[in-house]
Parts: sequence; C-alpha cells; structure tokens
Amino acid sequence: MTPENLLHGPLTTQKCTFGCPIIDRCLGGGIPINSITELVAESGCGKTQLCLQLLLSAQLPVSHGGLAASSLYIHSEFPFPFRRLQQLSHVRSSLFASNSKDNPCDNIFVLGVHSADQLFDLLSKTDSLFTNPPTGMPVKLIVIDSIAALFRSEFDNTPCDLKKRSSLFFKISGKLKSLAKRFGLAVVVTNQVVDLVGSDAGNGLRVGNLGSMCSSGRRVSPALGISWSNCVNSRLFLSRNEEIVGEETGLVDKSGGDFIARRTRRQIQVVFAPHLPKSSCEFMITRDGVFGVDR
Amino acid sequence: MERERETHTHTHRGREMEVGRLPISASQRGKLIAAGYTTFSSLSSVSPSDLARDLKVSDNEAHEILKVASHSSGLERSEGSHLIVNGAQTAWDMLHEDWFTHITTSCAVLDNILGGGISCKEITEIGGVPGIGKTQLGIQLAVNVQIPVDYGGLGGKAIYIDTEGSFMVERALQIAEACVEDMLETNGLPRKDFQACQNEMQAKDFLGNIFYFRICSYTEQIALINYLDKFISEHKDVKVIIVDSVTFHFRQDFEDLALRTRVLSGMALKLMKLAKKFALAVVLLNQVTTKYVEGSFQLALALGDSWSHACTNRVILYWNGNERYAYIDKSPSLRSASATYSVTGKGIRDSDSNCKRIKMM
Repeated sequence: MTPENLLHGPLTTQKCTFGCPIIDRCLGGGIPINSITELVAESGCGKTQLCLQLLLSAQLPVSHGGLAASSLYIHSEFPFPFRRLQQLSHVRSSLFASNSKDNPCDNIFVLGVHSADQLFDLLSKTDSLFTNPPTGMPVKLIVIDSIAALFRSEFDNTPCDLKKRSSLFFKISGKLKSLAKRFGLAVVVTNQVVDLVGSDAGNGLRVGNLGSMCSSGRRVSPALGISWSNCVNSRLFLSRNEEIVGEETGLVDKSGGDFIARRTRRQIQVVFAPHLPKSSCEFMITRDGVFGVDR
Repeated sequence: MERERETHTHTHRGREMEVGRLPISASQRGKLIAAGYTTFSSLSSVSPSDLARDLKVSDNEAHEILKVASHSSGLERSEGSHLIVNGAQTAWDMLHEDWFTHITTSCAVLDNILGGGISCKEITEIGGVPGIGKTQLGIQLAVNVQIPVDYGGLGGKAIYIDTEGSFMVERALQIAEACVEDMLETNGLPRKDFQACQNEMQAKDFLGNIFYFRICSYTEQIALINYLDKFISEHKDVKVIIVDSVTFHFRQDFEDLALRTRVLSGMALKLMKLAKKFALAVVLLNQVTTKYVEGSFQLALALGDSWSHACTNRVILYWNGNERYAYIDKSPSLRSASATYSVTGKGIRDSDSNCKRIKMM
C-alpha cells in the first residue's frame, strides 16, 4: 500500500464545465471529477436542463473545460427528454470543433431504472462501459436523475425501513465513489425537495451554508434526509422565487388593482462543497440552455 | 545507544528552546518564539505588561504565561539539570518528554478549549453534519502539524486517509499557502513579490508531506490501518493520522452486526496503540445521524454505540444560528466547553463575530 503523492497529479482537480463561464466561476470551474455533486431543487427549477447541458459540455475538449468524454445518463423519471436534448445539441453544435462529424447524442448513453436495487445492480455491471467504451471517447460523466424518485414508493416511514433505506444510500454512494475514483468520473445526482412544515426547531436541521432554503416562497429541505446528505461530496441548491421588482408604478392592471412588476428569480447556491465558499449566482433558462446572469 | 542519542538531541535543543517545554498553547508558543523569548531566563526578567505588548496579547494572558514559565523553570531547577538525567524519569519529565504535545487548529479559542490544540498520544473523534467543516479541520491539521519547531509547531508529517473523496488538492494548497503567509506575518516579515514565489514553493512542500491514502471499501480501510504500524516505523516524523471519515464504509448493510462492532473496536484499538507508540495524534472525523429519542430528533455520531468508547476525546461541531461551534462532548482532562470558529478561504480561523466567548458548561 503506497500513499499517493499529491504533487504528482494536477494541483487543481479536473472539472467539467457547465458550458457557461458565469456559472463556472461561481462553482469553481464546474463539476469536479472523483466526486459526487448533488443538484437539489423542486420540480421545474432546471435540474434536468442543467444535466442535459452537462451531457453535452462533457464532450468538449479539455482545453475548453470539458472532459473530452461520453456520458452515462440514468433516469428514474419517464420519459427521457430526448427532444430537448436534441434541441440543445443543435444549438451547441457551434461550440464543437467544426471537423467533428459525431452527433453529440451518440456519445450519451441513456438507461432507465425503476428502483434503487436496480440502480445498484446496474452500477455493479458497468465496468465494461468504462474499460471498453463503445465510441471513441471514454465515459467520464455519470448523471443520475433523480435519486429521490427511486426511494419514494418503496420505503415506509418506519424506523426499520428507514434503516434499510439508509443502508442502501451508503451502498449506492460507496459504489459511485469507487467508480469515480477508479475511472476518474464526475458524478452528478439530482434530488428533490420536501416542504418544511411546523416550527423552525422541529425538522429544520441546518446542513450547510444556508440557514433556510426557499423555493417558490416556501421553506424546503432536500429529500432523503440527513443520511443521504452524508453520501454526497457537494450539494448545490437551485431555487425559483418570485421577486417584486422596483416600486409601485402607479399603473393599474385590468382588474383595477395596482400593477406591481414581478419577475422570477432563479438562483444556484452552494450548500456545501469541500472546495467552495458560500457562493451563489443567478441564472436563466432559455431555448439555448441554462446561463448565469451577472447582476 | 539509540536512547542516549535521543537524550542528547533533546537536551541540546533544550538549551536553545526552553519555552518548548511550557504547557501553553501552540499559538502562544509561536508568539513567544517570534518575539525572541526562547529561554526561561528571558521570561524571568520581563514584566507582564511588557510581555503583553511584545506578544500582542492581553495583560491577563501574559501574566498567565509568566506564571506557567516561573513554575516550570522552578520545578526544573529543583529536579536538577535536564542535561544529566538518563534512565529514570520524573513525572514532570514524562509530561514534557515530547517537545510539543498539541497541534494547533489555527483558531485560538478552539485551541483553548482543547487544552492547546489536538492532543498527541490520544484519539480525538470529531463529528458533525455535512458542511460544518470536518474535512476543512482535517486538512488544516494535516498542514499545521508541519509548522516548523521554530514557529512553535511540531515539524511533523501527516497521514490523511480519505474514505469519502472529500479531500481536494486545490483546497489543501490554499490552506497551506495561508499557513505559510501566517508564519511569515508572525515573524514580522513584510510580504514582497519574490516572497510570493517562495511561499508557493513552501506550500507545495507542505502538500508533499501529507501521505494521502484513498480508501474505497471497509476491507481496504482495515488493511490500511493494519499496515500503518509498519509505515510509521519507516516514517517516524508522522505526527498525525486523520481518517475522513471513519464510519462511511461501515454504514452499508452488514449481515453480521456483531462482526461490525468487533471490527470497529479492533480498528480503534489499533489506532490507540499507534497513538501511544509513536506519540502522534489520531483524528477520526465522523458523520452524524438522527436518533428519535423521547419524542424529538437528536443528533448522534454515526455508529456511536458500537465503538466510540475507544476514543479519548469527542468533539461535536454544530450550527448555532449562523455561527459554527465546537463542543467538547467527552474528555478525561478537558472541561465541557464550546467555542465558535469559522471556515474561511485560509482555512479554519477564529470567528470575527462579537460572541467569540467560550461557553463553559
């Protein structure tokens, strides 16, 4: 058993760019390899959009912040958003080297799973995908979208089931981290939120930089509890909140009420990460993808 | 033969760095040395207010340091010269057998409640929720153990056992660079441009002195812990072993829970033997879990029931409002107390909030 010499490798962990310099800057360059990064958000905040974008930016050359790699996308919610992926790949094809004849979608391997056990089985059999990649590019990104859906229906709220569920978290996380280490993979897992109800002290155990996590004006908390929190290396929170912009303009809307300009503010925040300070940035989702906004 | 040689080195340094034997915190020692106070006689003739001014500490703190110094030097004089002792050891000798017995955390109040820093020869378990700063503290200790003796540190090396993949090289480099800068500031050297290049080289040296092991399963973890005795025998300058985190690989389904308990206890026992044999600090970072006890959720360290009796000290890291706190949960010699700290770009540091007080329980 020999220790690794920290000076032999690069002094910065390799990252996969998000395809947007503003978001990259906020998040230390992108998704780090050899690590599990969790994207937490309620539905409709852009988790899947961001994942699809990563599947494409992973294929960029390393000089452009990519991993020069294919990706494995494991989805638990159906159907797979193929049309949106195609749309994004057409838009972003201008970013790819002009002499590339590959269809970017050829470098994305998609698998659907229905249960946590099935996911674990799948991960135990993927070695050949990494040692003998089907296309020219090695596979260096795994996206699991979403992990929460796999655990929702199978487990009751009894202490016994929760323990079983928790064991499965650590099994799956251990397997993912082992793969990530062996093959230098970046792993992204998406998770959902649950509402926090009742008093603050009750079930609002603070984990990470944010005193409270708000989305759509409600206090929320990542699903799967503190057990699962212990299984990821970094947690990023995407939120969507309505903001009142400016002062009342004195205008009156159709129903006779005061017209108050509102806009949807989308934010991505670092909840915890071993290499990042508490940082955040605003973003928007357009036809062309997810982009950070400098305000 | 070996023993005589060790004694000789010990006493040779003894003439030059007597303050090394004082039971004060590592940061206080660093300040004394930086201000030029290296011997007992230099302290015997200075007034508390002058010392306070030189060290930039409060009058009370300076007074305490002088009290400790006069007690220590008085005892040493009455014991007869250290230069001659060979063979029998007095209790005082045993207490100060090793040069420096604590590793600073870079946070003065945290060092304070820990009795000077993380103790060598003991196992300290540190647990907390994700994001509270466990890995940050682990990396800080892996760097701080290397602070040279001349700056009040141990001048040792570190073993970092990463079981979760949380260790990021760039963060370790950032913390090492800040440590180098702090060392130079203590010396009062102004930061010049060419210094930046030297700092970078020195920070990289710090990285090179961390023996980093990445563990991906519980069997690997057990094998490595069993191997450490041999490894440290060949690298005697290792003064801290950090395991980040100790229970991750054991939280999967174990068919035989009794086996798991035996394995964990056995591991803890081996680590305790290493701590004592090589006079190093063992730091075990642990996750937390929630237990539903008497109608409410309480935080408990993972797998605590099965093995934590083997840990000498236990520290819990937690949030209180927007502040991070460390609390001494268990210790044979330290009082229960909590102190606030912060995680900055430079690493673990004092919190700059107004409530920097230490709460005694």
